Order: sequence, then structure tokens, then C-alpha cells
Amino acid sequence: MAVASVSYDTHEEPVVDRLYAETRDLRLQGFLLFLVSDVVLFSSFIFAYLYLRNTGQGFPPPGIGRLDVAFAAFNSMVLFGSGCTMHYALENWKHGNFNRYATCLIATIILGAMFLGGQGYEYTSLIVRDHVTWSGSGIFGASFFTLTGMHGLHVFLGVCYLTVLLLQSAHGVYTKQKFFGLTAGTLYWHFVDVIWVVLFSIFYLI
Amino acid sequence: MNIVMIERTVAAVGAVIVFVVAALALKHEWKTPGIENQVFKIMLGLLALGGIIAFLAGIGVLGNFAKGA
Amino acid sequence: MQTHDQTELHDGGGVADHIHPEPQTFVRKYIFSIDHKIIGIQYLITGSVFFVLAGLLAEVIRTQLMHANGGVVDANTYNEIYSVHGSAMVWLVVIPLLTGGFGNFVFPLQIGARDVAFPWLNMLSFWIFPPAGLMLFGSFLMGAPAAGWTEYPPMSLQGQAGTSMWCAAIFLVGVSSTLTGINFLVTILKMRAPGMTFTRMPLFVWAQFATAPLLMIATTALAAALAALFMERQFGVPFFDPTKGGSPVLWQHMFWFYSHPAVYIMILPAFGMISEILPTFSRKPIFGYKMIAFSSVAIALLGFTVWAHHMFTSGLAPFLQLPFMIMTMLIAIPTGIKIFSWVTTLWGGKIRFTTAMLFAVGFIATFTFGGITGIFLSAVPFDLHAHGTYFIVAHLHYVLVGGSLMGILAGTFFWFPKMTGRMMNEKLGKWTFWLFLIGMNGAFLPMHYQGLLGMPRRVATYDPQFQTINQIESIFSYVMTFALLLFFGNLLYSIRNGKKAGSNPWGARTLEWQIPSPPHYYNFKHVPTVFAAPYDFAEPLPYTGLEEELTDAPGPQPASVH
Repeated sequence: MAVASVSYDTHEEPVVDRLYAETRDLRLQGFLLFLVSDVVLFSSFIFAYLYLRNTGQGFPPPGIGRLDVAFAAFNSMVLFGSGCTMHYALENWKHGNFNRYATCLIATIILGAMFLGGQGYEYTSLIVRDHVTWSGSGIFGASFFTLTGMHGLHVFLGVCYLTVLLLQSAHGVYTKQKFFGLTAGTLYWHFVDVIWVVLFSIFYLI
Repeated sequence: MNIVMIERTVAAVGAVIVFVVAALALKHEWKTPGIENQVFKIMLGLLALGGIIAFLAGIGVLGNFAKGA
Repeated sequence: MQTHDQTELHDGGGVADHIHPEPQTFVRKYIFSIDHKIIGIQYLITGSVFFVLAGLLAEVIRTQLMHANGGVVDANTYNEIYSVHGSAMVWLVVIPLLTGGFGNFVFPLQIGARDVAFPWLNMLSFWIFPPAGLMLFGSFLMGAPAAGWTEYPPMSLQGQAGTSMWCAAIFLVGVSSTLTGINFLVTILKMRAPGMTFTRMPLFVWAQFATAPLLMIATTALAAALAALFMERQFGVPFFDPTKGGSPVLWQHMFWFYSHPAVYIMILPAFGMISEILPTFSRKPIFGYKMIAFSSVAIALLGFTVWAHHMFTSGLAPFLQLPFMIMTMLIAIPTGIKIFSWVTTLWGGKIRFTTAMLFAVGFIATFTFGGITGIFLSAVPFDLHAHGTYFIVAHLHYVLVGGSLMGILAGTFFWFPKMTGRMMNEKLGKWTFWLFLIGMNGAFLPMHYQGLLGMPRRVATYDPQFQTINQIESIFSYVMTFALLLFFGNLLYSIRNGKKAGSNPWGARTLEWQIPSPPHYYNFKHVPTVFAAPYDFAEPLPYTGLEEELTDAPGPQPASVH
């Protein structure tokens, strides 16, 4: 982990004009509130899943086995690892280490894509081998595919978003002081990670 | 060594790394001001928690159900 | 601390000094406008069109009920009509008018901002709304939803194709509401004029501030429920169908977790309007400013903890019924605080009964009545008796027609001069008020009695013993419709022919009345500085920086084009 050797200097005051500072504040709050409403969206489906699980006829329903914990743990590590690299991408940008930033961001994108691949593999094996489907396997299939599918969609959009950020920063859209897009991207990616912590726990571990 | 063991080992080792990295980052971030950094701290904390959970899952403490139940 | 920071920020070069050039083309000025005032008026017009459509549906319902055997429409069409009537009134009329319409137009002016925080997002929010409305009314073409505005499964699962259209339409309105909520919240938090601390904000702003998180959070929860229902209907994904392991009660939980806070989305902004109108026409400071402001927030918070009181008859566990009952009754406390504060504001005031004031006072009376029947219904034993009867219909129409709609009418008479620069006709307005009040009470008051006698809601034909009482209600509902026709006639007439209003026809003290009517594109020539809350009628206005507003001084220069 060469990226771990970044030196921290958090007392650096960014020198930017007032219009940028104020606009950035507005956008930051707006983006955080957007994430809050997204959390509510996930929470509603999680509530639905837990509610159905506790009121339905036993869980998992007869004829359906438990999910593959080992592979899911492996896949989770891919996503959590991408969270770490994303964190260091932003930190490196803040300190002007643009090459390391690019390395970290590319690593994040690759790990995110790997997670999606892993999820695709998991879906395929569930559908083909275990005959668990979205609409045909009762509340188990419904909740699992809806929630992980929603999360997968968020990861997919996140990968696209990070790719756009990479291209934008390569074209000089952001400077060492003005990089709100990167902050937003990091917030979003962390959000996707953290949602997976919850989903992983409730689908695979309990 | 079958594929499940490899997956579990990678998961457990990766989880330790993630936990350490997230915890270190959290420690470095601890005194930063600004609303986004507060959110980052929460997120890093949860990421570290995710590391712990994934480690326990990897070594088979959590989610260790009888096969074919 | 707030004051200091903000004064510093507005010294120059910030968002408040960053003015875009005024758009010149018709399309950018009036159709795809990013100006909050134009967007507010767009919401008001679109909402009014939907209001007329949904109101016509209501009259079909009342005409059908003139006779115990119905005879106007068949039972299935009747189900479609009341379902679309309810959905449209809630999502296409009351919520957009109060938040998107009045919220957009009024509160940025009241906090001394030049626009909302995200003007483009505001435009997007608006333009999601009309297509969604058309989709909802268009569902009649493919068999409209017929399980009421709540669309409980399993009936909604077996409903006609239009039910899926309903899901999509309400989902879109929800997206629009969520974006509006985010936008308003950031605007209020970040864009207040220098010196406008939280305790100096006008109460309408407080009301919007309490409503915005509800819009943002509750609506997203509804989006999840709607998405699940849509998936179940279109792709057979089991969430609610009990034969596949789903749970119909889950829908009720998810739906009411949104829809109970939505009740407060529909009333809090009206509370805010009343709190502006009463002091203005009593020439007296509002009584209990802080209590009114904080009780709005208290209502918004408590609103998230009471949803299951709609489900007392759905098999909710008894140990859950009691807490939900108690929490529901608790909401009466902040609401009562508001009502007593309003009454005390009137006490000893120099009251001027303009039409807006009449509607505001009428609001206090009818809303309190609806609120009291709400307390009845929160008691589990009574609710078990009254659930699904006309008592519920009476209660909800008292709070929505006697509350929200009265608020909207009061607000229209109050802010119309600011929007158009002309007054509405007061004489016609007073006729509107009295006819509306008589029609409204005549139509909905007997429903309490009828419900206690046991007439179920949502039926196309009924027991002949209820025929007289239904006929009375229908006739009074025509009176109410006539009053609303007068109102719309007045509105259309006054836009061109009303008396010139001037900048401040009511002698009100909030910021929007200190600038010309209608306001300029950039709202304020100089962003004002605020020294106190706006309600002390004995003092001079607590603002500086407004000296040039009513003169010919040039407006602020647009920032260089970028």
C-alpha cells in the first residue's frame, strides 16, 4: 500500500474566490441531502425485506438454500477496498499528488467494475444453478434481487461517474483548490460502500 | 485447498487491510473541519465496521450456516 | 455569529452578487424559466388546472350520490372517479400549490434571496410535474386505479392497467417533490439575507423549512412503496401478494409512513400563510412567534412517529396501538399552540376584514373543527367504530378543504397583488368566502352524522335511509363549486382589469412587500440587511438597503457572461 504514505496537512486554507466558496457550500449541502434521500430509499426496501422476512412463512423459504457467504465476503472486500482507494484518491488530490490520485482513482474504477462482475457471477449462479429468480422465488428472490440490483445500479452509475471525473480531471476541469466534483464523487462512492455493509449483513449473515 | 477456502482467506486478509486503512484514515481525518469531512468520518467508521464484519464472515464466525439447509 | 458570517459573505463577489442576465426570449422567460417567481406561478397555474379537473370528478361523485341507486355512472367507474379525485387533489393540487407554488414564489423573497439555491433543479422539478399529472388523468384511458387514493393491495394488484400508470405518475410527482424539498432546504439554510437569523425569519419561511425535510424524506419512502407495487404488478415480483409470501399490511406501513407526514406537507405551509395574514390585518405582532415557529418543526418531527394510526383495523398488534395513539394525540399540542397563538394575535387587534383575512379566520374555525375530529379518530376504540365510514371523509375534508384549500384561497387573495401588480375584486371575494364557507360546511358537516350512523365510504349506491342527508350534502357541494367558479372568474378578471396594487397594498412588513409588484427579475436592487423579526407594527421596518427599491435607480448589473 504505497498510497498509505501520504502526509497529512489538514490546516491548509484553500485560497478560492467567494463565489466559488459559496456555490460549493450550496452544492455540497444539496448533494448531502440527495444522499440522505437515497438512504431513505434503501431503508424503505430494507424495512420491507425485514418485515416480510419476519412475517412470512419461514426464512429462507423451503427449497432455497442460504446464499454463498464465502464468495460474497470476497466480493465485499473488493468493494470495501475500492472505498479505501477512493479515499486516498481524494487525499492525494488535495495534496497535489496528481499521479497518485490518478492511480488510486483508476484502481477504484477497476475494483468497482470487478465488484459488478462478481455480482453478475453471483446472479448467474443463483439463477442458473439454484433456480432462484426475481419473481419466482417468493419474497426471498424479490427482496434480494431488488435490493442488490438497486445497489448494483448505484455501483454502475458510480463507476460511470468516477470515469467521468477521471476524464474531467485529465482535462483540467479541477484545480488543487477547486475540486468539488471529486468530493461529491468520493461521498457518493463511500455511500455505495456503506450501503453494501448493511446489505451484506442482512442478506448473508443473519 | 478448494475455491471456498481461497475466497475466505482473501476476504479475511482483505478485511484486515481495509480495517487498518480505514482506521488510519479516520485517525488522520479526525480533526478536519467542514461538513463533508464529518460525513467522511462517519463513512470511514462504517467502512471499518464493514471490515470487521467481513473478517468475521471470512473466518466463519458469522453467517456459517449448515450447507444445503 | 450567523449575522457576522453572512454580512461578511455578502460584502461582494458572492452568490448574491452573481446575477445572470435577464432572459429575453419568450421561451426562456415564461416556459423554461429558471426564475423562482415564474416557476411558482407555473405551479399555481398547472395546479389550478388539475384542481378544476379533480373538482369536476368530485361533482360527479356528489351527483351520483344524489340518489340511493346512483345512476350517473356504474360502480366501477365510480371507484375510478373517487380514486383519481383523491390522488389528484393530494398530489397534483394541494402539495404542488402549497410548496411548489406559494413556496417558490414567496419564501425566497421573504428571506431576501435572489433565487433558490438551484434554479435549474427548480425548473426540472416543475417540468416533471405536468407530465405526471397528465399520466394520472390519462389512466382513465386504460382503466383508472379503483382502490381509492391509498391503493391497498390486494385490490390494487388486481386493478386495471391504469393502476400501474398511477404508480408511475405518483412516483414522478414524488421525484419532483423530493428535488423541491432539497432545493428549499438548502436555500433556507444558506441563502438568507445578512442579519436574517433563524428567529428573524417570517413564519411562512419557518413553515417551508419544516415542510422541506418532509418532502425530501417521506416522499422518497413513498417512491420505494410505489416502485415495489409497480414491480409486483408488471413483473410479478412478490412483495404484497399473500399467496406468494408477501404481506398487504407491508404496503400500508410503507404507504402511511409517507402519507402521514404528507398530511403535514399539506397543512404546514397553510399554517405559515395564516401566520403571515393574521398579524398583517390585525396590525399587531404575531403572538408567540417562537412557539409558532418551533411547533411547526415539532409537528414535522412527530409526524414521522404516528403513521400506524391509519392501520388500527389492519391487525396491528395491540401493544403497538397504544403508543401510536398517544403519539397522535401529542400532535394536538403543537397544533393547539398555533391555534391559541393565532386567536391571541386577533385579540385586541385593529382587525380589517379583507377577503384574505376572512379566509384566514375561517381557516382557524374549520381547521380546528377538523383537528378535533382527528383527536377522536386517534382513539383506538372510536377509530374501530368510525373506520371506513363517512366520518373519515368528513374529517379529511375538513382539514383539507377547510384547512389547506382555505389557506390556498387566503394566500391567493393575499399575494395576488404581489404576483400581478393588481388587486383581486374584494366584493366578489367576500361573496366567494361566504358561499364557500356555507357550501363547505353544508357539504361536509352532515357527513359526520352520516358516518356515525354507519354509511361506508367509497360506495356507489347506498341504503335509502341516507338519501336525504346525501342530497343536502350534494346541494351544498354545488354551492361550494359555485363559490370556486366565482373565485376563478375573479382571478381571470383581475389579472387584466384589477385595481393597480402598488408595492404594499396591505401594509405588510415582510421583505416581499418592500419591493415593486410584480418584483424584478433580480428581486432586490441591493440585498437588504435585516435587524429584527418583521412583526412589530409599532417599530419602523427592520431593514436597510431598500431605499432604492421603489425609485428609478438601475438594477444590479449582471455578472460577466461565462
